[in-house]
Amino acid sequence: MPDDIRALSAQLAQDPQSLVFLRLAELLRQRRQLDAAVRVAISGLERHPHLADAHDLYARVLADKHDYERAFDEWDMALRIAPNHTGALKGLAFLYFKVGDVDQARAHLETALKVDPDDASITQALEMVHQGVAPESGADAGAAAPAEAIASGAEVAPLEDARVFAGLEGAQEGLLLLDPAGRVLGGALKDRHGADVTDAVAAYLAGVSQEAARTAKLLGLGNWTGLAAEGGEGNVFLKQPGPEALLLVVRERGVPMGRLAVIANRAANAASRWLERQS
Amino acid sequence: MSARAVESWTLQPLTDFVREAAVRLVLLMTPAGQVLAQSGFSRAVDVMSAAALGAAIIASTTEMARQMKQAPFGFLSHQGQRHGIFLASSVTGRGPVVALVVYDLDVSSVGLVQLFFEQLAADLAAASPKETVNKQVLAADFERELSNSLNALFGR
Amino acid sequence: MTTAYSQALDRVTRVRGVRGAMLVAGDDGLVIAEQLMEGIKGPAVAALASSLATRLRRAMAAAGVGNSLFWHLQCDQGALLVVFSGSGVLVVAVAEADVNVGLVRLELLRAAEAAG
Repeated sequence: MPDDIRALSAQLAQDPQSLVFLRLAELLRQRRQLDAAVRVAISGLERHPHLADAHDLYARVLADKHDYERAFDEWDMALRIAPNHTGALKGLAFLYFKVGDVDQARAHLETALKVDPDDASITQALEMVHQGVAPESGADAGAAAPAEAIASGAEVAPLEDARVFAGLEGAQEGLLLLDPAGRVLGGALKDRHGADVTDAVAAYLAGVSQEAARTAKLLGLGNWTGLAAEGGEGNVFLKQPGPEALLLVVRERGVPMGRLAVIANRAANAASRWLERQS
Repeated sequence: MSARAVESWTLQPLTDFVREAAVRLVLLMTPAGQVLAQSGFSRAVDVMSAAALGAAIIASTTEMARQMKQAPFGFLSHQGQRHGIFLASSVTGRGPVVALVVYDLDVSSVGLVQLFFEQLAADLAAASPKETVNKQVLAADFERELSNSLNALFGR
Repeated sequence: MTTAYSQALDRVTRVRGVRGAMLVAGDDGLVIAEQLMEGIKGPAVAALASSLATRLRRAMAAAGVGNSLFWHLQCDQGALLVVFSGSGVLVVAVAEADVNVGLVRLELLRAAEAAG
């Protein structure tokens, strides 16, 4: 094990609460030891859930692992904590550019440039966006290059619009959209061993939804709006994006319930728009 | 399997109860064992046996309560490995009605059955005819009435 | 109600916004112990919470997320929060919609420990 990683690991072991996990995980990421980087990042996040830099770090590792959906969630969370976080702005710009939303990519980079006008990587990324070349993710942006300042009226739009729908359509794990009879409308679900459990879960969920509605009604609680549950090995959130649909979001145990609720709300909004388009 | 009734006023309350409590079998009868409605039974002999046994249990436990100088028990519950049995009576305009309920333990619970039985009792009381007609039952009439009841309960 | 149960439920009901707390036999849906405000129907809460818990447990097992530890039914006019004790007993809280979920969850977990 290289000396710097060994030293940082020792420091972290001595003081698990310290922020040295940020440097350690970044080093591991740069050396492509991504699984180890994930473990360090998650452990750090559990201790510092409100640290924007921690979310940004985790997002970069996830992006390197090509887990763009979760990288998006993490950068989104970083921005909610620190709206001017340039790392998150650059990261999201990269992802927006990847899905072809050049306007959003540009808007995020321009916001980042206003926050940190001296960051050459931002100007270079903007240049690339204008030329139609995908910028690298924020952490890997290369050498500085002069760039024209671009005046644009585009504001940073709500993050849910562009990607979440795509994520809903292409979700292979962790996101499931059903009709009230338990038939799958979109998404898929895999358990932690990678087995497809979509149909089995869908069948059970229809019953859960009906029981939730009945419980809320008979106990005088009004209409149910969500059902959050913690399991021994993962957390789930159930919502109704519309009267004729049910949305399930599943994440591993390390994702706090509050964040799961945010993810679920965004996914429900995207599902709702998708459903409107189908009808 | 849909519910069937000899006395039609029992049908809607019974249907609602079966749906809400997710039970497997229900028999509504008088304390004497005369069946008013059933849900889930597929054979007449099963209905007759269940009605006779249910009536006997109610009679035994009512006598037990009387000897203990108590009011009759509110409900009886037995739990097996896979099924539970729930037996309770309620007051209607037609007189007392006994419900014999069988449920799968995987699907329902005594708490759920008890909860929705209260609603069933209220619905039966509301739906029942208000005037009661007392008539003497002759042996020949009994045989004919039983036969007619079974035909009604099994859609024959 | 035994003192241990009573004290366990006391802590839950002291959280602002909680309208009632109870211990429920998870399989039967029957009340073991309760502390409820006026208007909360204990047997109904017990039966329905137990039924929903059973269905949710099966769905979560199928999804591979393990045993249910805690769930929170969010409604526009209230909430139902449930923690599972190891002995098959559910600890249930009925609350206002804007209750401090984290605090209720904590007290439910403590009550579950006390209930054994």
